[in-house]
Amino acid sequence: MAERKVSGRDIFLSIVAVSIVVILSYMLVSFLVISVPPQETNRWLANWFLTTTYNWENKDWWSGSPEVVTSILWDYRGLDTVYETSVFFFAIIGGLMLVRSVKIDKGSLGIKGMSVISKTITKIILVAVPVVAASVALHGHLTPGGGFQGGSIFAVSSLLAIIALGTGFLYGRGWTKMRLLGFRTLGLLIISITVTALFVVGFFSGVTAYIVQNQWKPWAPIGMGYLADLGVFGNILYSGSLIFLNLAEFLAVSAGLSLAFIIMALPRKKLVEGGDIE
Amino acid sequence: MIDASTLIWSYIYAVTITIIVITVYGMATRPNIVKKLILLSILGDTANLIAVMIGVHAGMIKPPVFPGISFTDHPVVGYNKLLNFAGEAVDPVPQVLVVTAIVIGLAVLVFLGYVALLLYQKYGTLDVRLLEKKMRGEMSE
Repeated sequence: MAERKVSGRDIFLSIVAVSIVVILSYMLVSFLVISVPPQETNRWLANWFLTTTYNWENKDWWSGSPEVVTSILWDYRGLDTVYETSVFFFAIIGGLMLVRSVKIDKGSLGIKGMSVISKTITKIILVAVPVVAASVALHGHLTPGGGFQGGSIFAVSSLLAIIALGTGFLYGRGWTKMRLLGFRTLGLLIISITVTALFVVGFFSGVTAYIVQNQWKPWAPIGMGYLADLGVFGNILYSGSLIFLNLAEFLAVSAGLSLAFIIMALPRKKLVEGGDIE
Repeated sequence: MIDASTLIWSYIYAVTITIIVITVYGMATRPNIVKKLILLSILGDTANLIAVMIGVHAGMIKPPVFPGISFTDHPVVGYNKLLNFAGEAVDPVPQVLVVTAIVIGLAVLVFLGYVALLLYQKYGTLDVRLLEKKMRGEMSE
């Protein structure tokens, strides 16, 4: 790369890049979005979210989850997150459509795996990573994290398995294309059922209810509840629909990303046999 | 005299803005598609970092997770706890936007990865200059 000359086009592009970024950052500073150091400004929107997420005073205006980010994601603007999940769905489906006729079978070992040391260490880590992923997804309504983050962590473990243990490792444990697609579709199905459940119930019982409704409202008297009373064992805070949505998102994201990684690791021969390239 | 806080925050903003300049320039000039993808992901992450930093205000640096979950508390005590929490936590709205942006960014990255993979399988190169020549040659045939 040493012989690469600096052309006039490069200089022009660099000037354009610098000026765009300088103009954007000047606008951020002049509208007081960025202040150095951070000021104690009036932030009524943040205050509203922070106080109504776990509202002591009026339980009609809360989401029942102490974790503000997840409650905004799935409750306050849940429809937005449903659309975001569908963007992820379509990106994976679009990628799979490009390699649609590829079959994963015993002969499709794209990567043979690494040395014995790497394999042993990877097998130890492969137990720990899904546990962390499951805990992040299950505590999504209590601590920072959630379904998507847990699913991404889980997909890291399948990526590790593909690279260190070979593509055949996951196939040998029954991770076929149709099964992973099925898990992904199951996750999306649970999301759509959870999102429309209260609306359907309210429609048939003649009560006002909304799509992506979580807790009850003064004008929508049915809700998912937030507390499971176990008597002597105490209470479990499950925050209504948030835990179901987080678990379904975890399932969908982990299966979809694992499938994407497995297909990306297939050798050229399989893609040629599939007829997607010449 | 500039105090330490101003200095550190200016430094962080300067570094992030420099990274954005470098990634925009690199995406325009680097011919390799994989390098373009790497720069795109760095650009997205830097933009997310700036968004999260905007959510930090003076004295409000706790995570937006309400710690006091106790149904035996007196309502007024609980409400006062909640108000204290709202005065100390960071702004959750930029974090929510960043979570959405990460998901969309990952989806775009996975899709572009597939496209780059197929381009390499078909043409044997990821250099956009060579790809352009090969695609033109194919069309003229």
